[in-house]
Amino acid sequence: MTLEAFQNMVFPVKNKLYRFAFRLLGNNEEAKDVVQEVMIKVWSGRDQLDQVQNLEAWCMRITKNLSLDRLRQQQRRPTDSLEKGMHLTHQSLTPAEATELGERMKRIAELMAELPDKQRQVMHLRDIEGYSYNEICEILEIDMSQVKVNLFRARNAVREKLLKMDAYGLA
Amino acid sequence: MDLHEVEQLLEKYWQTETTLEEEDRLRAYFAQGQVPPQLKAAADLFTFFQAEKNKTLAENFDGAVTKRLKARQGGKLVTMIGWGNMARIAAGIAVVVAATFLIRQEIRKSYPKEAQDTYTDPQLAFEETKRALQMISNSFGKAKKEASKMQMLNEAEKKIQMKSDSDRINI
Repeated sequence: MTLEAFQNMVFPVKNKLYRFAFRLLGNNEEAKDVVQEVMIKVWSGRDQLDQVQNLEAWCMRITKNLSLDRLRQQQRRPTDSLEKGMHLTHQSLTPAEATELGERMKRIAELMAELPDKQRQVMHLRDIEGYSYNEICEILEIDMSQVKVNLFRARNAVREKLLKMDAYGLA
Repeated sequence: MDLHEVEQLLEKYWQTETTLEEEDRLRAYFAQGQVPPQLKAAADLFTFFQAEKNKTLAENFDGAVTKRLKARQGGKLVTMIGWGNMARIAAGIAVVVAATFLIRQEIRKSYPKEAQDTYTDPQLAFEETKRALQMISNSFGKAKKEASKMQMLNEAEKKIQMKSDSDRINI
Protein backbone atom coordinates (compact mmCIF):
# COMPACT_ATOMS: atom_id res chain seq x y z
CA MET A 1 0.00 0.00 0.00
CA THR A 2 1.31 3.45 -0.88
CA LEU A 3 1.54 6.21 1.68
CA GLU A 4 -0.97 8.23 -0.29
CA ALA A 5 -3.53 5.43 -0.30
CA PHE A 6 -3.00 5.00 3.41
CA GLN A 7 -3.50 8.70 4.03
CA ASN A 8 -6.75 8.67 2.06
CA MET A 9 -7.99 5.69 3.99
CA VAL A 10 -6.96 6.47 7.56
CA PHE A 11 -6.49 10.23 7.88
CA PRO A 12 -10.22 11.03 7.55
CA VAL A 13 -10.91 9.38 10.92
CA LYS A 14 -8.16 11.24 12.76
CA ASN A 15 -10.51 13.71 14.46
CA LYS A 16 -12.75 10.94 15.78
CA LEU A 17 -9.68 9.17 17.13
CA TYR A 18 -8.47 12.40 18.70
CA ARG A 19 -11.81 13.17 20.38
CA PHE A 20 -12.06 9.64 21.73
CA ALA A 21 -8.48 9.67 23.04
CA PHE A 22 -9.14 13.07 24.61
CA ARG A 23 -12.33 11.74 26.26
CA LEU A 24 -10.34 8.86 27.76
CA LEU A 25 -7.18 10.73 28.70
CA GLY A 26 -8.47 14.23 29.35
CA ASN A 27 -5.26 15.72 28.01
CA ASN A 28 -4.85 17.39 24.65
CA GLU A 29 -1.15 16.62 24.07
CA GLU A 30 -1.48 13.01 25.14
CA ALA A 31 -4.53 12.57 22.93
CA LYS A 32 -2.52 13.86 19.94
CA ASP A 33 0.35 11.50 20.78
CA VAL A 34 -2.04 8.57 20.93
CA VAL A 35 -3.49 9.39 17.50
CA GLN A 36 0.04 9.50 16.07
CA GLU A 37 0.79 6.16 17.68
CA VAL A 38 -2.38 4.69 16.20
CA MET A 39 -1.43 5.91 12.73
CA ILE A 40 2.05 4.41 13.04
CA LYS A 41 0.69 1.12 14.35
CA VAL A 42 -1.81 0.85 11.51
CA TRP A 43 0.86 1.83 8.96
CA SER A 44 3.23 -0.82 10.32
CA GLY A 45 0.52 -3.45 9.89
CA ARG A 46 -0.69 -2.15 6.52
CA ASP A 47 -0.14 -5.53 4.84
CA GLN A 48 -2.92 -7.01 6.99
CA LEU A 49 -5.37 -4.16 6.43
CA ASP A 50 -7.37 -6.15 3.87
CA GLN A 51 -8.35 -8.55 6.66
CA VAL A 52 -9.93 -5.73 8.68
CA GLN A 53 -13.67 -5.48 8.08
CA ASN A 54 -14.33 -2.09 9.64
CA LEU A 55 -11.16 0.00 9.52
CA GLU A 56 -12.64 2.94 11.44
CA ALA A 57 -13.88 0.74 14.30
CA TRP A 58 -10.52 -1.01 14.35
CA CYS A 59 -8.65 2.29 14.61
CA MET A 60 -11.00 3.39 17.39
CA ARG A 61 -10.30 0.17 19.24
CA ILE A 62 -6.54 0.70 18.97
CA THR A 63 -7.08 4.26 20.24
CA LYS A 64 -8.99 2.94 23.24
CA ASN A 65 -6.33 0.34 24.04
CA LEU A 66 -3.40 2.75 23.73
CA SER A 67 -5.19 5.39 25.82
CA LEU A 68 -6.06 2.90 28.55
CA ASP A 69 -2.47 1.63 28.51
CA ARG A 70 -1.29 5.17 29.17
CA LEU A 71 -3.77 5.63 32.00
CA ARG A 72 -2.66 2.33 33.52
CA GLN A 73 1.02 3.29 33.26
CA GLN A 74 0.32 6.56 35.01
CA GLN A 75 -2.24 4.95 37.33
CA ARG A 76 -4.63 7.80 36.99
CA ARG A 77 -8.09 8.76 35.87
CA PRO A 78 -8.57 11.55 33.35
CA THR A 79 -8.41 14.64 35.53
CA ASP A 80 -8.07 17.65 33.32
CA SER A 81 -10.77 16.75 30.85
CA LEU A 82 -12.81 19.74 31.91
CA GLU A 83 -13.42 22.21 29.19
CA LYS A 84 -11.25 25.26 29.52
CA GLY A 85 -13.66 27.90 28.36
CA MET A 86 -15.72 26.55 25.51
CA HIS A 87 -16.23 29.22 22.90
CA LEU A 88 -19.61 28.64 21.42
CA THR A 89 -20.80 30.88 18.70
CA HIS A 90 -24.54 30.87 18.82
CA GLN A 91 -26.54 33.30 16.79
CA SER A 92 -28.61 35.83 18.72
CA LEU A 93 -26.74 35.33 22.01
CA THR A 94 -25.69 38.31 24.07
CA PRO A 95 -22.17 38.15 25.61
CA ALA A 96 -23.78 37.38 28.99
CA GLU A 97 -25.84 34.56 27.49
CA ALA A 98 -22.78 33.20 25.70
CA THR A 99 -20.84 33.17 28.97
CA GLU A 100 -23.70 31.40 30.73
CA LEU A 101 -23.92 28.83 27.96
CA GLY A 102 -20.15 28.30 28.17
CA GLU A 103 -20.47 27.70 31.91
CA ARG A 104 -23.25 25.18 31.37
CA MET A 105 -21.20 23.36 28.75
CA LYS A 106 -18.29 23.21 31.15
CA ARG A 107 -20.59 21.77 33.82
CA ILE A 108 -21.85 19.08 31.43
CA ALA A 109 -18.26 18.18 30.56
CA GLU A 110 -17.62 17.77 34.28
CA LEU A 111 -20.71 15.59 34.66
CA MET A 112 -19.55 13.40 31.80
CA ALA A 113 -16.03 13.16 33.22
CA GLU A 114 -17.49 11.98 36.52
CA LEU A 115 -19.24 9.02 34.87
CA PRO A 116 -17.73 5.54 35.28
CA ASP A 117 -15.29 4.74 32.44
CA LYS A 118 -17.51 2.42 30.44
CA GLN A 119 -20.52 4.74 30.65
CA ARG A 120 -18.41 7.68 29.53
CA GLN A 121 -16.98 5.73 26.62
CA VAL A 122 -20.35 4.43 25.42
CA MET A 123 -21.97 7.88 25.70
CA HIS A 124 -19.14 9.47 23.75
CA LEU A 125 -19.29 6.91 20.95
CA ARG A 126 -23.08 7.05 20.61
CA ASP A 127 -24.07 10.62 21.44
CA ILE A 128 -21.06 12.51 20.12
CA GLU A 129 -19.74 10.30 17.32
CA GLY A 130 -23.05 8.68 16.34
CA TYR A 131 -21.86 5.06 16.14
CA SER A 132 -24.32 2.19 15.91
CA TYR A 133 -24.64 -0.23 18.82
CA ASN A 134 -22.85 -2.92 16.79
CA GLU A 135 -19.91 -0.63 16.10
CA ILE A 136 -19.70 0.30 19.79
CA CYS A 137 -19.63 -3.41 20.67
CA GLU A 138 -16.72 -3.86 18.25
CA ILE A 139 -14.78 -0.83 19.48
CA LEU A 140 -15.17 -1.48 23.19
CA GLU A 141 -15.14 -5.28 22.89
CA ILE A 142 -18.27 -5.68 25.00
CA ASP A 143 -21.68 -7.20 24.21
CA MET A 144 -24.83 -5.38 23.13
CA SER A 145 -26.57 -5.61 26.50
CA GLN A 146 -23.59 -3.99 28.21
CA VAL A 147 -23.61 -1.19 25.65
CA LYS A 148 -27.29 -0.48 26.24
CA VAL A 149 -27.11 -0.70 30.02
CA ASN A 150 -24.13 1.64 30.15
CA LEU A 151 -25.73 4.11 27.77
CA PHE A 152 -29.00 4.08 29.73
CA ARG A 153 -27.19 4.71 33.00
CA ALA A 154 -24.98 7.43 31.51
CA ARG A 155 -27.83 9.36 29.90
CA ASN A 156 -30.00 9.19 32.98
CA ALA A 157 -27.20 10.10 35.38
CA VAL A 158 -26.41 13.22 33.33
CA ARG A 159 -30.11 14.06 32.91
CA GLU A 160 -30.76 13.80 36.64
CA LYS A 161 -27.88 16.11 37.47
CA LEU A 162 -28.89 18.58 34.78
CA LEU A 163 -32.43 18.71 36.15
CA LYS A 164 -31.04 19.34 39.63
CA MET A 165 -28.85 22.09 38.22
CA ASP A 166 -31.91 23.74 36.71
CA ALA A 167 -34.02 23.26 39.82
CA TYR A 168 -31.46 24.57 42.32
CA GLY A 169 -29.43 26.82 40.04
CA LEU A 170 -26.21 24.92 40.68
CA ALA A 171 -24.67 25.99 37.42
CA MET B 1 -41.25 18.50 14.29
CA ASP B 2 -43.89 19.59 16.80
CA LEU B 3 -43.31 19.79 20.57
CA HIS B 4 -45.33 16.64 21.30
CA GLU B 5 -43.23 14.61 18.88
CA VAL B 6 -40.01 16.03 20.34
CA GLU B 7 -41.11 15.10 23.86
CA GLN B 8 -42.00 11.59 22.72
CA LEU B 9 -38.66 11.13 21.00
CA LEU B 10 -36.85 12.50 24.04
CA GLU B 11 -38.61 9.99 26.27
CA LYS B 12 -37.47 7.23 23.95
CA TYR B 13 -33.98 8.74 24.01
CA TRP B 14 -33.74 8.59 27.82
CA GLN B 15 -34.95 4.97 27.68
CA THR B 16 -32.20 4.16 25.10
CA GLU B 17 -34.81 3.18 22.55
CA THR B 18 -34.16 5.72 19.81
CA THR B 19 -32.55 4.82 16.50
CA LEU B 20 -29.60 6.79 15.10
CA GLU B 21 -32.00 8.54 12.69
CA GLU B 22 -34.29 9.61 15.54
CA GLU B 23 -31.30 10.91 17.47
CA ASP B 24 -30.28 12.89 14.37
CA ARG B 25 -33.74 14.45 14.30
CA LEU B 26 -33.40 15.46 17.94
CA ARG B 27 -29.96 16.94 17.21
CA ALA B 28 -31.40 18.92 14.32
CA TYR B 29 -34.29 20.18 16.47
CA PHE B 30 -32.04 21.40 19.28
CA ALA B 31 -29.54 22.94 16.85
CA GLN B 32 -32.11 25.53 15.76
CA GLY B 33 -31.86 27.15 19.20
CA GLN B 34 -35.45 27.99 20.15
CA VAL B 35 -36.65 25.51 22.81
CA PRO B 36 -39.29 25.73 25.53
CA PRO B 37 -37.97 25.99 29.13
CA GLN B 38 -38.96 22.40 30.07
CA LEU B 39 -36.54 21.09 27.41
CA LYS B 40 -33.61 23.26 28.47
CA ALA B 41 -31.64 20.41 30.09
CA ALA B 42 -31.93 18.25 26.99
CA ALA B 43 -31.11 21.23 24.77
CA ASP B 44 -27.92 21.91 26.75
CA LEU B 45 -26.90 18.29 26.48
CA PHE B 46 -27.42 18.16 22.70
CA THR B 47 -25.61 21.49 22.31
CA PHE B 48 -22.70 20.04 24.27
CA PHE B 49 -22.59 16.93 22.07
CA GLN B 50 -22.53 19.09 18.95
CA ALA B 51 -19.77 21.32 20.32
CA GLU B 52 -17.70 18.26 21.20
CA LYS B 53 -18.11 16.85 17.72
CA ASN B 54 -16.70 20.05 16.23
CA LYS B 55 -13.35 19.62 18.00
CA THR B 56 -10.58 18.82 15.56
CA LEU B 57 -6.84 18.33 15.48
CA ALA B 58 -4.61 21.21 14.49
CA GLU B 59 -3.87 21.59 10.77
CA ASN B 60 -0.17 20.73 11.11
CA PHE B 61 -1.03 17.26 12.45
CA ASP B 62 -1.10 15.59 9.01
CA GLY B 63 2.35 16.89 8.13
CA ALA B 64 3.87 15.73 11.42
CA VAL B 65 2.39 12.24 11.11
CA THR B 66 3.33 11.90 7.44
CA LYS B 67 6.93 12.69 8.34
CA ARG B 68 6.93 9.90 10.94
CA LEU B 69 5.26 7.45 8.58
CA LYS B 70 7.82 8.17 5.85
CA ALA B 71 10.61 7.55 8.32
CA ARG B 72 9.16 4.12 8.92
CA GLN B 73 8.57 3.23 5.29
CA GLY B 74 11.81 1.18 5.26
CA GLY B 75 12.83 -1.28 7.94
CA LYS B 76 9.26 -2.34 8.56
CA LEU B 77 10.30 -5.59 10.20
CA VAL B 78 12.28 -3.76 12.84
CA THR B 79 9.34 -1.47 13.49
CA MET B 80 6.89 -4.34 13.87
CA ILE B 81 9.13 -6.46 16.04
CA GLY B 82 10.48 -3.56 18.06
CA TRP B 83 13.93 -3.11 19.55
CA GLY B 84 12.90 -4.53 22.90
CA ASN B 85 11.71 -7.77 21.35
CA MET B 86 14.80 -7.95 19.11
CA ALA B 87 17.00 -7.74 22.22
CA ARG B 88 14.96 -10.48 23.90
CA ILE B 89 15.31 -12.76 20.87
CA ALA B 90 19.09 -12.10 20.67
CA ALA B 91 19.49 -12.84 24.39
CA GLY B 92 17.55 -16.10 23.96
CA ILE B 93 19.76 -17.22 21.08
CA ALA B 94 22.93 -16.33 23.05
CA VAL B 95 21.76 -18.44 26.02
CA VAL B 96 21.01 -21.45 23.79
CA VAL B 97 24.41 -21.21 22.02
CA ALA B 98 26.30 -20.87 25.33
CA ALA B 99 24.40 -23.79 26.89
CA THR B 100 25.09 -26.02 23.85
CA PHE B 101 28.81 -25.19 23.95
CA LEU B 102 29.14 -25.94 27.67
CA ILE B 103 27.18 -29.20 27.45
CA ARG B 104 29.34 -30.40 24.52
CA GLN B 105 32.47 -29.63 26.49
CA GLU B 106 31.21 -31.59 29.50
CA ILE B 107 30.35 -34.57 27.29
CA ARG B 108 33.80 -34.50 25.67
CA LYS B 109 35.51 -34.43 29.07
CA SER B 110 33.62 -37.51 30.27
CA TYR B 111 34.72 -39.65 27.26
CA PRO B 112 38.34 -40.68 26.55
CA LYS B 113 39.98 -39.22 23.51
CA GLU B 114 39.45 -41.15 20.34
CA ALA B 115 42.27 -43.52 19.30
CA GLN B 116 44.70 -42.00 16.89
CA ASP B 117 46.95 -43.63 14.36
CA THR B 118 50.32 -44.38 15.91
CA TYR B 119 52.02 -46.10 12.96
CA THR B 120 52.59 -44.81 9.50
CA ASP B 121 53.99 -48.08 8.12
CA PRO B 122 51.18 -50.68 7.63
CA GLN B 123 53.62 -53.62 7.90
CA LEU B 124 54.90 -52.37 11.24
CA ALA B 125 51.31 -51.81 12.43
CA PHE B 126 50.45 -55.39 11.39
CA GLU B 127 53.46 -56.77 13.28
CA GLU B 128 52.53 -54.79 16.39
CA THR B 129 48.91 -56.00 16.21
CA LYS B 130 50.07 -59.58 15.75
CA ARG B 131 52.35 -59.24 18.76
CA ALA B 132 49.51 -57.79 20.86
CA LEU B 133 47.13 -60.59 19.80
CA GLN B 134 49.84 -63.19 20.51
CA MET B 135 50.21 -61.77 23.99
CA ILE B 136 46.47 -62.01 24.58
CA SER B 137 46.44 -65.53 23.19
CA ASN B 138 49.33 -66.59 25.53
CA SER B 139 47.42 -65.13 28.46
CA PHE B 140 44.30 -67.07 27.43
CA GLY B 141 46.37 -70.33 27.23
CA LYS B 142 47.81 -69.73 30.68
CA ALA B 143 44.37 -69.04 32.07
CA LYS B 144 43.02 -72.22 30.47
CA LYS B 145 45.79 -74.30 32.15
CA GLU B 146 44.87 -72.80 35.54
CA ALA B 147 41.18 -73.45 34.85
CA SER B 148 41.88 -77.17 34.12
CA LYS B 149 43.39 -77.48 37.65
CA MET B 150 40.13 -76.13 39.01
CA GLN B 151 38.29 -78.79 36.99
CA MET B 152 40.43 -81.54 38.59
CA LEU B 153 39.50 -80.25 42.03
CA ASN B 154 35.80 -80.22 41.09
CA GLU B 155 35.94 -83.81 39.88
CA ALA B 156 37.69 -84.93 43.10
CA GLU B 157 35.03 -83.15 45.13
CA LYS B 158 32.29 -84.95 43.17
CA LYS B 159 33.92 -88.37 43.80
CA ILE B 160 34.17 -87.70 47.56
CA GLN B 161 30.57 -86.61 47.59
CA MET B 162 29.44 -89.81 45.82
CA LYS B 163 31.52 -91.96 48.19
CA SER B 164 30.06 -90.35 51.30
CA ASP B 165 26.51 -90.76 49.88
CA SER B 166 26.99 -94.50 49.24
CA ASP B 167 28.43 -94.99 52.74
CA ARG B 168 25.32 -93.30 54.25
CA ILE B 169 23.02 -95.67 52.30
CA ASN B 170 24.94 -98.80 53.48
CA ILE B 171 24.62 -97.69 57.08
